[in-house]
Amino acid sequence: MAKLALTGLTKRFGDLEVLHEINIAIERGAFISLVGPSGCGKTTLLRIVAGLEPASAGAVLLDGRTVRAPGGDRGFVFQSDNLLPWRTVFDNAIIGPEIAGRTGAEEKNRIRDLLRLVGLEGFENYFPRQLSGGMRQRVNLARALAIDPDILLMDEPFSALDAQTREIMQTELMRIWEEGRKTVLFVTHQIDEAAFLSDRVLVLARRPGRIREDIDIALSRPRALAVKRASEFVAYVDRIWRLIEDDVRASVIEEHP
Amino acid sequence: MATIETSSPGEAGAVSRLQVQSPVFSRGRYIAGLMSILAGLALWEFLSRVVVANALFLAAPTQIFAAIYNLAITGQLWPHITISAAEFAIGYVIASLLGIGIGFAMASSEVGKKILQPWIAGLYATPTIALAPLFILWLGIGIWSKVLVVIFLVLFPVTINTEAGLRTTSARLTEMLRSFGATPWQIFFKLSLPSAVPFILAGLKLGIGRGLIGVVVAELFGSRAGLGRLISQSADAFNMPELFAGVVILAVAGIVMTAGFTRLERMVVPWTRD
Repeated sequence: MAKLALTGLTKRFGDLEVLHEINIAIERGAFISLVGPSGCGKTTLLRIVAGLEPASAGAVLLDGRTVRAPGGDRGFVFQSDNLLPWRTVFDNAIIGPEIAGRTGAEEKNRIRDLLRLVGLEGFENYFPRQLSGGMRQRVNLARALAIDPDILLMDEPFSALDAQTREIMQTELMRIWEEGRKTVLFVTHQIDEAAFLSDRVLVLARRPGRIREDIDIALSRPRALAVKRASEFVAYVDRIWRLIEDDVRASVIEEHP
Repeated sequence: MATIETSSPGEAGAVSRLQVQSPVFSRGRYIAGLMSILAGLALWEFLSRVVVANALFLAAPTQIFAAIYNLAITGQLWPHITISAAEFAIGYVIASLLGIGIGFAMASSEVGKKILQPWIAGLYATPTIALAPLFILWLGIGIWSKVLVVIFLVLFPVTINTEAGLRTTSARLTEMLRSFGATPWQIFFKLSLPSAVPFILAGLKLGIGRGLIGVVVAELFGSRAGLGRLISQSADAFNMPELFAGVVILAVAGIVMTAGFTRLERMVVPWTRD
């Protein structure tokens, strides 16, 4: 059985159909990216899976059970880090368990281990304003991992970072993912990011959002940054780009008439 | 500024704000401020003694400090200060607690807000200090009429700021907590409340100046003692040094309390500085 399954998922905002009958099945431990132009509904899809937004029709099934509300089985990594400015790195990271009422010594040790995993050892008592954008996103990731979710939902987590930091964060995410092999649903508009990270890339079309193509990325793991210069990798990026090019042009014209 | 090295080369630049100002720079600024004050006092002294040269119109700083000293050693000053301080403190504390409470009520219930909003907004805009003579008629010329004036002046900025602070809770952060399954109560205590603290402190700070005005003006309308009383007595007797003595003590009180509050803000809500 698929870890996560979306069946006939449809979302309408008033008359506007944002998502049209999305069907996806994701196996346990897979890293899946959703790529598409702005306005294709990829973030909305992620929010529905997280339970932050209701679906208009269809269902989200986690281990065969329908989910409607947020839960500890899904960890959300936000586009903007959404850290609480009055809390230290440690206190931000532990907020999920804290909300669930778990703040014991064991939990605290686990959070400390997690912060070490994401490369924040020694920064536990820093405040968000003392950190760079990349480090804040590490806290964002640690916070989602802290509830030990079955699935990690990531909404363009590196889009606000500069190009170099983004590349570093991609390899860091790969390293962290290799440790636990959580199921990941990753939304991005960066084609090379999707191809680099994923086992499968789902390419979305817009108006309404629907799956245009489901592409297996058959590159061996672990992957180094150098793979981005390999011809197979470039071929994947090229193929994805050609799939969405017309849509992207249309959305650019719409946004900047 | 101290830069912290990170393990990854791509994201250096985490900056510690522990040493934002170099000591030389802050001492330079301190000296500039002190020089400005001293120059101002010297100019005042000159205008008072040479240009105006009329003890009925203006007192020089040296005369004012002499008056404060004389009032202090003859024991006349202390009762004025304690009375005014008591009026301010009692009114301020009551207004703060009440204001925060009403602000909470307005933020937590739509009906509560609808009922209270027109009154709060209306009374905030009204120069309620004009009601001081009425309060004196009701409560007499003792401290309680002044306490009431202070309450009226301090209450509304605190209420309005508390309500605004609780309402402007970030939607993004609310969603973050919601994604972890937070209940409305948890969202209130973990997010709305802490993010309202800077607003509440700003309202309380605003209340200091307004409360002091309330004390003095209410005392001018009728009182047995207090710094306002000292000022009006001195004005009646054309005693400029003592009149200014009252004003200077009030100014110092306002400056010290406001500065103390700014320091408190830095300690309690350091994240609002950047």
